[in-house]
Amino acid sequence: MTVKIDEKNLKPGLLGLVVALVEIIQETLERQALRRMEGGRLNESEIERLGNALMELDEALEHIKKENGIEEIVGAIRNDLDRVADEAVGKIINPEKWKEETGKVDKAGMI
Amino acid sequence: MEEQESANVSEAKQEVAPEGRYLYCVIISSSNADFGDMGIDDSNVYTIIYKDIGAVVHKCPAKAYDSKNEQTVKEWILAHQYIIDEATKKFGTVIPFSFDTIIKGDEEKVKRWLSEEYSALKDKLETLKDKAEYTVQIFCDKTVMMEKIGKNNPSIKKLKEDIKTKPKGVAYMLRQKMEGMLKDELRLLMDDYAKDFYNQIRNYADDIKVEQRNKPVPDKWKDKQMIVNLSCLTRKDKVEQLGKILGEINKKKEFSVRFTGPWAPFSFVGEIGGSKK
Repeated sequence: MTVKIDEKNLKPGLLGLVVALVEIIQETLERQALRRMEGGRLNESEIERLGNALMELDEALEHIKKENGIEEIVGAIRNDLDRVADEAVGKIINPEKWKEETGKVDKAGMI
Repeated sequence: MEEQESANVSEAKQEVAPEGRYLYCVIISSSNADFGDMGIDDSNVYTIIYKDIGAVVHKCPAKAYDSKNEQTVKEWILAHQYIIDEATKKFGTVIPFSFDTIIKGDEEKVKRWLSEEYSALKDKLETLKDKAEYTVQIFCDKTVMMEKIGKNNPSIKKLKEDIKTKPKGVAYMLRQKMEGMLKDELRLLMDDYAKDFYNQIRNYADDIKVEQRNKPVPDKWKDKQMIVNLSCLTRKDKVEQLGKILGEINKKKEFSVRFTGPWAPFSFVGEIGGSKK
């Protein structure tokens, strides 16, 4: 399982990876915040504080991406990470099928 | 020319790499045909007949065609496709082989293979008769679709109102909530449409294969989500009706249809015969 980072652009690649990971954490935080809000466990001023903090984080990430021209790289890395996660989950759900499919790739490679 | 080749075969076998026959396709024919020097690397393409079927081949060493040069490989694949198209024009139904299928041996080997697989090949030819392969891909414009959902969903409409009036932080949270709801609705809706379209299209295909929906597509379709990707084996007299149905779907603003064909039925050939190489 590999995530492709272009050797020619190591700095943007690494920065892109870091930003991608922070975005994923940000989304997890937002989901958690939404759950609390919908569960009625927050009053309006708490929601206001939470929303502002998340909004600032969002704007900061957008700013970093624009400043460094890494919007596309971050998108690509996130797609790759999705694929890696998908494969891992697939392997857990159905180890036989995964073995079959990786076997096929080997055969094709040999021909 | 074939007799001369047979005479030289035993000598050739001792000196050079074993010979083989590159397989383009299997046809229905009782008599030989010549396609000229139109094959891969300008090879002379001809037929080897057994009873009423034949293999379209060219003579080559028993080794896969391999090259790191992209242009070379492109030309090979185009030549492969060209011969299959020509054979389809001349003989109607063909069973196409995928690129780089080579049988180790000579004319006799090919004839033996044709005789061993005779009934399987005849059956397959019958299945493919008067049909061709068509690709149907349907794309969804998520933005347009989400607008529609937003208009018709009362909870989402209420959220939109609140977002306008509430303070910034709260509005941000409500926006996230709304986007989540839209995405969930969208996913369900696209799934429903995909199933519905599949059922409609199924009626016009004798055989249908569901393909991966994250295949690469030309730039024109890059921003849309592929919700349907099908290879259809369709009778020639049903293609027009299939086209009409797809045309109706394409008229809707939220959907775009990509309908290509006729192709040689590569997806519907399956596995015939044992190891060829």
